[in-house]
Amino acid sequence: MDLSLPNPSWSKDMRLLFDQFMKKSEDGSWKHLPSYKNKFSRRIEDIKVFFPDAKLIKEKISQAQLFPRNFEEGLGFEYAMFHNHAEDRTVCIFQGGPYLQGAPGFLHGGAIATMIDSTLGMTALIAGGIVMTANLNINFKRPIPLCSVVVINSQVDKVEGRKLFLSCNIRSVDEQTLYSEATSKNLCLFWVWFSLSYISLGFVFGV
Amino acid sequence: MIRRTFQVAMSLGSHRVLPGAPCVLPRLNPTSAFGSSTDSLVSRFCPEKMDMKDYALPNASWCPDMLNLYQEFLEKTKTDGWIKLPSFKSNRDHIQGLKLPFGLAVASDKNDWRICTRCIQEEGQGYEYVIFFHPSEKKSICLFQPGPYLEGAPGFAHGGSLAAMMDEVFSKTAYLAGEGLFTLSLNIRFKNLIPVGSLAVLNVDVEKIEDQKLYISCIAQSRDQQRVYAKCSGVFLQLQLEEESSQ
Repeated sequence: MDLSLPNPSWSKDMRLLFDQFMKKSEDGSWKHLPSYKNKFSRRIEDIKVFFPDAKLIKEKISQAQLFPRNFEEGLGFEYAMFHNHAEDRTVCIFQGGPYLQGAPGFLHGGAIATMIDSTLGMTALIAGGIVMTANLNINFKRPIPLCSVVVINSQVDKVEGRKLFLSCNIRSVDEQTLYSEATSKNLCLFWVWFSLSYISLGFVFGV
Repeated sequence: MIRRTFQVAMSLGSHRVLPGAPCVLPRLNPTSAFGSSTDSLVSRFCPEKMDMKDYALPNASWCPDMLNLYQEFLEKTKTDGWIKLPSFKSNRDHIQGLKLPFGLAVASDKNDWRICTRCIQEEGQGYEYVIFFHPSEKKSICLFQPGPYLEGAPGFAHGGSLAAMMDEVFSKTAYLAGEGLFTLSLNIRFKNLIPVGSLAVLNVDVEKIEDQKLYISCIAQSRDQQRVYAKCSGVFLQLQLEEESSQ
């Protein structure tokens, strides 16, 4: 089930932004990126298409689930990502729920860091294949109120061999308030891609 | 609640801010006392009588390494001046009777708000951790075991979950060591992935306190220190909490 689609917990601002980006996706310049709780769920659906009688051995399927997708609707990370191929940048609209509190009434710095890592990681993944975050540097300018909606804009700044350098900023919906800025260095793990290709497909389709 | 949240956000924007200043919150008079000593902060933070559940206690999901090290540090709380910090569901429970300064306090607060690192309450599935703090040396040790719901790369903890854990230990240490309240910056260098269900030991030190800022650093490594998972440094803003006025 694609979790980066609107649900009843999304605020008006979140829906508005989502609709704006879906509209931009109509001409192909932007692309909505699906997001699943379990990276392997997509693979399971593919298998069912080709082998409808296959019985899945449940014990072998990992219990593990992608961290930002492990919450009931509206309680944790509600987000959707869109990618612009021509400009090589990714935008994430994010609504942080009541289970991500830091200082009372505000989003936890670590929750913000998780979304920055996820967004930059997705940008790096699209640009460079399987990647691992080597370095994350975040400057917090203003605390983000809990349950508000923010926009994370990320891009690749430069590529040096196996290293990708990315940056992003977090702004309010009207772009008037700058909440955070971050830079990241990611490493391409091509040797992992070649030797563990079944996992690499999971990476490509899972967020 | 949402209207109040926006009101808070608007009041943040209307604070006097020097153009180009990196921090939006007003500077305090440097001579105003950050007078609360570490001891008084700790005693208020760790109440003797607790009617709230303390989540930083062993349970069936803790791996043997974590249990052993926990017992070791529990002994040190009796002899070497270490203190085990309680861990409640919400930060509001930690600062009862106090509130955020400068109108940042949000008046309405739903009971189901949870601190980020206690978001997943099923035993062993999310963050299992306990923090020990040493008041005179201004350092902390956090025993952290990430559960399967914190996964990023298959079988390993999400980088963001480690970032959240580090920010959380930083924020508790910074508060008790010098009333550090808000994270200004975080710089994390990831070295190795943490396998889900294994123990990571976070050693946190306060490097210096100057100019209304607290500089703090951390190394996350395996118990035998053979594998370094990440190194992190952070800067926190010093701000005093205000007493909640009785109404």
